[in-house]
Amino acid sequence: MAQGNSGRKPSGKAAGGSASKTPERPKPGGKQTISRQSVAQARKSKSSNRIQFIVGGIAIVVIAAIIVIGIVMNQKETAVQAPGYGASTQSVATEANGVVTVSNPSATGTTPKTIDVYEDALCPICAEFEAQFGQQVAQAVDQGKLIVNVHMLTFLDSHSYSQNYSTRAAAALLCVAQQGGSQPGMYLTYHSALYASGTQPTEGGTSDLTDQQLADLATSKGAPASAAQCITSGQNMAAATAANTSSSASLSKATGGQVATPTVVQNGTPVQLSVNWLTTLLGQS
Amino acid sequence: MTVAQTRSRRVLVLGTAGLLARLGLATVWFLSGFAKASDPRATTVAVRAYQLLPESLVAPVAGALPYLEISLGVLLLLGFATRLAAILSASLLLVFIGGVISAAVRGLSIDCGCFGGGGQVQAGATAYTMEVLRDIGFLALAVFLVIRPDTQVSVDRFVRRRAEQTA
Repeated sequence: MAQGNSGRKPSGKAAGGSASKTPERPKPGGKQTISRQSVAQARKSKSSNRIQFIVGGIAIVVIAAIIVIGIVMNQKETAVQAPGYGASTQSVATEANGVVTVSNPSATGTTPKTIDVYEDALCPICAEFEAQFGQQVAQAVDQGKLIVNVHMLTFLDSHSYSQNYSTRAAAALLCVAQQGGSQPGMYLTYHSALYASGTQPTEGGTSDLTDQQLADLATSKGAPASAAQCITSGQNMAAATAANTSSSASLSKATGGQVATPTVVQNGTPVQLSVNWLTTLLGQS
Repeated sequence: MTVAQTRSRRVLVLGTAGLLARLGLATVWFLSGFAKASDPRATTVAVRAYQLLPESLVAPVAGALPYLEISLGVLLLLGFATRLAAILSASLLLVFIGGVISAAVRGLSIDCGCFGGGGQVQAGATAYTMEVLRDIGFLALAVFLVIRPDTQVSVDRFVRRRAEQTA
């Protein structure tokens, strides 16, 4: 600090160069100040301690209050939407170029909104997304208010035990769409099942689903034998890889470069996924 | 007189440096806190991705963390209980730094989720070194404030002056 002060000396104000030289030495100056202050400080220390305790106490109460308010808000924000609706019962799925379109063409009286959903079968946030909004999406599709283009990306392959789970799951979904897409609710039900807790493999985990298990899951949800056959034969692997390439490009274009899942895109723009995103989107005229 | 001047100039310089550190750190907490609070799903996943907490603690921690950050931002912005806020900030940053380093050591491929987002990223897309260096920079601000919590334009200073006047 002594250097700092002498360095600043030339530009110093009214104090004057020569006068400020001596007291700038920290030791005598410091001592003087301390001794002069110490009496006052001793007198004040009791009350200043008390003030510090009060201030600290208030601060802790403020922190606690903000956290409590936050947790309440957080619960609202993460609340499951359309709870109790269950699986889709009316939707049908069609596949084109590796993208699956889910809709209810027989619904009348509404003009549906169209969204593009980008997911990876291994992505944990996609599972959270499915758990929170899956039923609401199913309901909106069933009611003919929503058309969903599902893009399954595969960039998390390398994080899966088998090194290609995302691609195999994407291929399996294509199989279910191609072979069982006309069965009401089939595709969305299988899609949800893949994200169910206990079914979705964990990233960096020590196991994931084999093709046989993916096929068995489809069968257990009511998919035709041809879908299971399609899954175990790996028939759509190349299609899933190709779809990943084209969908990554379209996602990247919409987001300005970022490829992250889950992302919902409407009219070429990413949708901010707050708790009310779908309600808001459906309410737009 | 000159002693007092030198002293008061020193107090002013350090108090202003402290003010900047305080506002800087407050900005960091606000940005990261609001980013995390606005995307609770991502925050949950980001916390889980570190694989350090049992599943039963993931949701509570993910729920509380953004708001702890925001509350520290509020205290620092006001300059209220600055030392306490700085100590808590430094502790939290040490936890973050420890978390990121442990993720790197364990070979996880995650984004720190420091400013929202988070979770797994493509192998090779991790940025642990940058994340740690950045947090160490923030830690330096917090440590400065732990040592010198007396800053310009702070509620702390206001309260103390009022107390001194009435004493």
